[in-house]
Amino acid sequence: MTETEILHWVKDTWLGVTVSRSRWLFATGETFHFIGLSLMVGGLLIVDLRILGFLRRMPLKSAMAFLPFVIVGFLINLATGIEFFFADPFMYWPNPAFKLKLFLIFVAGINALVATIVLHRHAKHAGLDDDNFGALTKATAGLSLSLWLVVILLGRLLPAFEGSTEFF
Amino acid sequence: MNFLAWLEQTDFSVWLRESDWGHPIVLCFHAVGMGLVVGISFMFCARVLGYSRKIPLDAFDRLFHLAWFGFWMNAVSGVVLFSGSPRRLLETPAFVIKMVLIAAAGFSLWLLARTLQGVMKPAGASARLSELEAMPAGARVAAAFTVLFWIGTIVAGRLIAYTIGPPPI
Repeated sequence: MTETEILHWVKDTWLGVTVSRSRWLFATGETFHFIGLSLMVGGLLIVDLRILGFLRRMPLKSAMAFLPFVIVGFLINLATGIEFFFADPFMYWPNPAFKLKLFLIFVAGINALVATIVLHRHAKHAGLDDDNFGALTKATAGLSLSLWLVVILLGRLLPAFEGSTEFF
Repeated sequence: MNFLAWLEQTDFSVWLRESDWGHPIVLCFHAVGMGLVVGISFMFCARVLGYSRKIPLDAFDRLFHLAWFGFWMNAVSGVVLFSGSPRRLLETPAFVIKMVLIAAAGFSLWLLARTLQGVMKPAGASARLSELEAMPAGARVAAAFTVLFWIGTIVAGRLIAYTIGPPPI
């Protein structure tokens, strides 16, 4: 299958046809995408800023208790993101901002995996009450906030790159 | 109305409406500000509503500074967005509803803060807010309404894009 064939297939799926024909499904998806964004940002701020050492009054365990909000927000945005893509694959796929956004989400996923591993190692050696995190752990927290910030910006800049296939 | 008509004809307003970049750039700020205000509000309200009661409430102090930062970011970027199409926005019901909902969310957050302070005081200086396990009913109601008002604000904001009239020629 060529790239064009795949995009045609996406467009002709039940999901693609239903969303592009509906008057309100896309707008409803966008609303949920923003709610998911807020859940992710709220949760990530607490977790990442705590690891970076900014919210010392928040016990580490309490900060980590907000992770489920991040995961729920991410799943909402993954689902609605797929909805958008299926509704108009030929608009999204050539857009360089869309491709970079997908790539950075992938990098953020790897980063989250690394963060999980180093946090577990830290908890095993130093205990969960010790919050003198190593440079690597702090780097994952800083990277997480930066990556998601750029992901938000790229999402809002998608229309500005519509119709172009390269950034420059 | 004369002022709004004049505003609409300024170079800046025209640039916002007609350039490829004007709107998306301002919307970038608006989205980040939303994440800060609504995101932090959601997390705090979840705690007040009973999520993970071991989390000390006063640990949110510094996050509120960030939430305020986001609020002002959106007030400024909102005014800028408004200057792009002031008359059309005032004629769009979703825009007026959004402004009312923002005021309502602010009011319920203020009520929430007042209710929590009211509970803290009689307990004396030694009893910190962080040790408050069961939230007073008033605080829970205010938190639930805050969440609903923010969701309503987001819904109304999205509806503006779909219901606003065509730009002036």
